[in-house]
Amino acid sequence: MESPLLRRCVRAAAHSHKHIRRRPHIQQYRFYAAPTDSQGDIRAASPIRFSSNHTSSQPRAELLDNDSPSTSREKARSDDAPEVDLFTLRIVPASPSYFTATPQYTDDLLHLSTLSRRHQLLPVLPPGQAPRTAWKTIDQYKTERAEPVRAKGYKTLLKLLKQLNYIHPSLMPEEVKTTLETFKRDVQPYLNVPKPITVDAYGVSVAVGRRKSSSAKVYLVEGTGECVINGRTLNSYFARLHDRESAVWALKATQRLDKYNVWALTKGGGTTGQAEAITLAVAKALMAHEPDLRPALRRAGCVTRDPKRVERKKPGKLKARKMPAWVKR
Amino acid sequence: MSSSVCLRCFKRALIPPESSSSLTTAHRAAFSTSPSLSANPPKKKPSVGKTQGKSQAKPGKTLRLTKNKRVQTGRPPAPGERKALRKRIVLSNTNALDVPGLENLTTENVKDTGRLRELEGRVLGFGEDTVDAMRALEAFKPGQGWSLFKRPAALVRKDMIELGEAVQNAKENNSVARRVVFGERGSGKSVLLLQGMAMAYLQGWVVLHFPEARPITNAQTAYQPIQTAEGETIYVQPHYIAGVLGNIAAANRGLLNDLRLSKQHKLPIPLQSNISLTRLVELGARDPQLAYPIWKAFLSEMTAPSQPEKQGQLRPPVFVGMDGVDHIMRMSAYLDTDMKPIHAHDLAIARDYASLLSGKTPLPNGGIVMAATSASTRPAVPTLDHFLARKHAETHAQALTTIRDALLDQAKTAKSIQDIDLTNLEALTPASFPPPLALQAQNLQYLVLRFHDQNASLHSLRKYLHSFAPKLPEWNPFEAMDQHVADVMQTGVGVTKMEGLSKEEARSVMEYYARSGMMRGAVTEGLVSERWTLAGGGIVGELERGAVRARF
Repeated sequence: MESPLLRRCVRAAAHSHKHIRRRPHIQQYRFYAAPTDSQGDIRAASPIRFSSNHTSSQPRAELLDNDSPSTSREKARSDDAPEVDLFTLRIVPASPSYFTATPQYTDDLLHLSTLSRRHQLLPVLPPGQAPRTAWKTIDQYKTERAEPVRAKGYKTLLKLLKQLNYIHPSLMPEEVKTTLETFKRDVQPYLNVPKPITVDAYGVSVAVGRRKSSSAKVYLVEGTGECVINGRTLNSYFARLHDRESAVWALKATQRLDKYNVWALTKGGGTTGQAEAITLAVAKALMAHEPDLRPALRRAGCVTRDPKRVERKKPGKLKARKMPAWVKR
Repeated sequence: MSSSVCLRCFKRALIPPESSSSLTTAHRAAFSTSPSLSANPPKKKPSVGKTQGKSQAKPGKTLRLTKNKRVQTGRPPAPGERKALRKRIVLSNTNALDVPGLENLTTENVKDTGRLRELEGRVLGFGEDTVDAMRALEAFKPGQGWSLFKRPAALVRKDMIELGEAVQNAKENNSVARRVVFGERGSGKSVLLLQGMAMAYLQGWVVLHFPEARPITNAQTAYQPIQTAEGETIYVQPHYIAGVLGNIAAANRGLLNDLRLSKQHKLPIPLQSNISLTRLVELGARDPQLAYPIWKAFLSEMTAPSQPEKQGQLRPPVFVGMDGVDHIMRMSAYLDTDMKPIHAHDLAIARDYASLLSGKTPLPNGGIVMAATSASTRPAVPTLDHFLARKHAETHAQALTTIRDALLDQAKTAKSIQDIDLTNLEALTPASFPPPLALQAQNLQYLVLRFHDQNASLHSLRKYLHSFAPKLPEWNPFEAMDQHVADVMQTGVGVTKMEGLSKEEARSVMEYYARSGMMRGAVTEGLVSERWTLAGGGIVGELERGAVRARF
């Protein structure tokens, strides 16, 4: 059995949230949220801080006088110490989630669901068009909150976050924005947009390619098919015919070998790695000159970076996978 | 049941203390990188009959399978057989097609420089007698790809035409051209030398050739010291010189048969006064102990003034070639009596060649002394490298200086900077200059054109042009220069750098490959430029490797 009064109180408690930065919005909430007359009998107090510094801390719970329930907090604080009657005082936690196993998580969940309910009528972006965002991982979240949050529970949280993220950016309320910020990862990998390679005023395009542990920087310019690598000719730099072919493979596969000159710098790794790093760099630089060659270059296998590296050695093995020989004792 | 005495203690107690201490000192540490000073234990004699024919590996360590056993089939190659196979020179491929209309390098072609110039960019074969003579001189080398085609042929390049002109010039004016050819591996240095010798041979020259300088200096042949007239100690290599004389006799037999001795020589054996030079050279080739005196006598006969009116006293011009010359431009591997390395120029044969190259030994009947460096067996020769780079830069610097002088002359007479003719300057391609000069050429071009564009005063242009001088590579003063080499190279020896082929030349060569049936497919523009790029800008050896030899 639960009375409507109790329900109202819980709702009020959920709103007067402990987050300090949300405090200024409390007034605002009242216009949107259902309960407006939350100044009733029970009121959440600010959290207690068990430290000596009184200036910056706010009490986690508040001593409410049963005789004067309508006393404002400021007043209570001003005539604090002398008249407190400890027998008649009752400690109320700042958040009703205080009694759950994961109070902060529950607070977050309640807050997010409130936001999503409150702004559910705002226009949203079409599916799949929401800005790509890296949310905090469950481990990060758990460490931050120091609470044993379950995977399923965090999934619910993420679902709400993603839902809020779909609100049209031009109409995104400030409170949603600030809330979403707290759940975003510090480093947003999706903000790293590669700079497009351009052909400069001298007709040169510069691109970098990598393969294994080699890297190559290529300057490509229109010419007659000359190729200089680290200041040496192609044949003196790559003794192997196969390496020479793969270094200029992007040009050869598109029949552009006699149309461009290549000037490359390469370092690290071995000959094969260097040659194939040059392949990738030449292909990227060539796409700056002729963007239409992209499909042809992809068919030639010059567009994607080969992510394969040397596999690490493991303990108990002679190499990455080789087991020691069996020896008869 | 356990005994009351610890067995280990009991065992220790049985050994007398002094013997145990001696044992510990004799023992080696369990692991040590320093060698043991005690004598090795005597080796076990192999038990006869038991382990014969079996592998020496310990039983149980390796898996015994039939395929792991190495079986010897047939007899092992005799000493020297493998080397002979490696050094074998095959000049014909019976499976290759005979190229129709392949012209030969003939006397008529060679004599007329105009005609030779018409043949530029075409592949010419070598006639049979030329091939025999060149083969006798060991001018064909293994690895040059002669075995891929029906008969030997080579491209007529610009350098060859210049060489042909030098041959003509030497013949007409009795002048001497001395030249060192250098360049990348496979760029055609040795083949240019071969073409030069072929041209000289076809015009009735005496051709001397040292096919490799490396065996002169790598201490593989016997040597002995002798005193020169000036009191210096030099070292002769009798067997090597005998071999060279044999080659000379075989290659120039027809010519030397008609030539007779003209001087009296001090030789260890009595000689008829009028024997032919072939006889003389063959005597030296037969007896290594006579080889060096006869070589000296032959050289003095060749450098004697020609007397065409007397029978057998005509002395034709001489072509002296040496391949891999960088090997004689350094210390040799031979040691003198003080166990100090001998400089290559103190070896008699290298000394004679060096004095020919430096012009110290004159060739009064005209001739060409030509040397090619080796890029595949390249020793470190900083002095030679420096002079090659410097002389190469000098030839290019001249072009810059002439342009500068022409501009200066115009700047003196012109009214304004706009009147100056800049066509020569605009036609300048800085990339064609060797590295240190390329930047300077670019600067000259850029700055003068900027003066022109900004309509600067003539005075400032003149000031800049006066200050402009091509900078040549300088020797690092903190390093010791090889004085022997410097003396040779500072005497006006010309240098030629072998560059890659142009695309037209590459096309001509590839058409020859295709017509020989050694390269499949049509020779198209795209194929030529592709192969040209992959050959590092038309390096002819690489072109052949990529187009004919490579099997994908």
